[in-house]
Amino acid sequence: MRELARLQSLQVKTGQLLTKSRLDEILRSDIEKLYNALEQNVNKFEQLHQDGESLETLDDPARRHDIRNAIGIARGYAELIKETETLPTATLSNLLDKIILWTNKSLNILERSAKPRFDPNKFSVTSSDNEDFEGNILILDDQPANRDILGRHIRNLGLNTFACANATEAFSVLENNDIDLILLDLVMPEMSGHEVLARLKTSELWRAVPVIVISGLGEQAEVIKCIEAGAEDYLQKPFNSVLLKARLRAGLNRKRWVDKERHLSNELEKSHRFIKNTFGRYLSTEIVNNLLEKPHGLDMGGSLQTVTILMADIRSFTTISEKLSPQNVVLLLNNYLGIMAEVIMEHSGIVDEFIGDAILALFGAPVANPNDTDNAIRCAIAMQHKMEEVNHLNREQGLPEIQIGIGLNTGEVVAGNIGSSKRSKYGVVGHTVNLTSRVEDQTEKGEILATQATLEQSNLTLSLGRTLELKPKGVSEVVRVSAVNEITSAIDKKQKSKQNTG
Amino acid sequence: MKRILIVEDNELNRDMLTRRLVRKDYSVASVDDGQKALDYLEQEIPDIILMDMDLPVLNGWQTCQAVRKNQKTRDIPIIALTAHAMSDDKQKAIEAGCNDYATKPIDFPKLIEQIESLT
Repeated sequence: MRELARLQSLQVKTGQLLTKSRLDEILRSDIEKLYNALEQNVNKFEQLHQDGESLETLDDPARRHDIRNAIGIARGYAELIKETETLPTATLSNLLDKIILWTNKSLNILERSAKPRFDPNKFSVTSSDNEDFEGNILILDDQPANRDILGRHIRNLGLNTFACANATEAFSVLENNDIDLILLDLVMPEMSGHEVLARLKTSELWRAVPVIVISGLGEQAEVIKCIEAGAEDYLQKPFNSVLLKARLRAGLNRKRWVDKERHLSNELEKSHRFIKNTFGRYLSTEIVNNLLEKPHGLDMGGSLQTVTILMADIRSFTTISEKLSPQNVVLLLNNYLGIMAEVIMEHSGIVDEFIGDAILALFGAPVANPNDTDNAIRCAIAMQHKMEEVNHLNREQGLPEIQIGIGLNTGEVVAGNIGSSKRSKYGVVGHTVNLTSRVEDQTEKGEILATQATLEQSNLTLSLGRTLELKPKGVSEVVRVSAVNEITSAIDKKQKSKQNTG
Repeated sequence: MKRILIVEDNELNRDMLTRRLVRKDYSVASVDDGQKALDYLEQEIPDIILMDMDLPVLNGWQTCQAVRKNQKTRDIPIIALTAHAMSDDKQKAIEAGCNDYATKPIDFPKLIEQIESLT
């Protein structure tokens, strides 16, 4: 126990002063008291030592109180002598400093160990411990005495205070500090509390800062006016510190929630912006909104999903493009891809990729929807219809007319963010994708070919054209595909069968 | 000269506070329990009372309440001398009618400020 050894040596030195020095009566008596106080400390520390305790480990509140009191008394005497002696000897002054240092150190150790140990049950946002009672309080009062008393009360609660004598000062403090609550005096010469309040509440920046009005007796009418004007609460002079504390706490809590709400809404805004930037370019509004509602839809580590894939390309594009200048090729592609992308989005698909003149669109990823396959089929038909518009635009711009073929296939793919951490892109891979490409290869101008898998998944009643049996490279089984001409009935198969049975 | 009544059972503490306050030119009387404080107040009305809360016979809270109930003494400012920085002693002291509190070990310059602002 280092504190004890140090203490004993200090006590001995104090005793020596008494025997060696010639002292005046008052000083002798003070030093005797100091010696007694140190002795009391020695006894208490020895007792502590015997009990196997130390300042750090002492838990019993009564004993902590006792020892704190004893240390405080020793410090009190040392400070007293320091204050009284205008010309102390070097030895005395030195000794007193050492004693005060020792008391402060010991008290620090005691206070540090007094910090409540972490108790998860007590740990909550609404905890009423002084620990989390913090904030910057602005006091606006023209009376120096009021500012002083209020300031002291509030600082005792562990809060920071900014005392202002007039409105000008207060607004300058508000501009330069993050103020959590304002205590506002009503009657002030320059600008009344009521006027200050009105200005605060019309300010975008300060509107959310709670205001507690301080009133004297008989200012009831004014208080009511202030509360109507947006003051949170009021306090009557002379202050009752319990009420003051309770109202400060309520006001600060309110401010904290407002801040938290603001922070959360900023965060939300940020993440919405991120999702919109990332997906907005190739996702329909509906899907972006869907993602925003179900953010876990974004946890795309790569998952197995059933999707309908639509692939489209311009038939004989190579031949067409050879006859055009590069600028016109780009113009042609932009006319075509721009309009098609819109059609795909309208049908809740996402454009996963433009590869030259080819489009790869997905229905059912990243967010699955029961109508994915139907949407894909409707989309393919709409795309073919839209080609009239594309060609109209082309003719106007002196560009050749084009025709597209569309392949549709449904099956499982691995969907997710594919790539490295530096560059990754949402996409799909798998056999289903490759097969779609093979199907699309077989289309003629203006044709839609859908695999059996897609047709089986669909609830639409379709008029089908030719049927082909494909044996694509690398695929063992025969793949049946049919040309989709149009949707013959808007009522889907399920509903139809219901009507038939009913 | 402002008159202070110290109510404190710890002899050294009482002595130390008395000495320090006297050197600051206050007139100081002291008693060591709550009942003696009430007896003293029958005879004398000080400008302020410094009251330890952990008192024998009649504790600080009871004494405070008694002071506040008495027509003669109810306006005397009281500063509670409380023990634990972390406990709810302060709250209790204020509820019992104290005007302010000082936590032990006493920060003397601050105590003087408190005394001055209440007297």
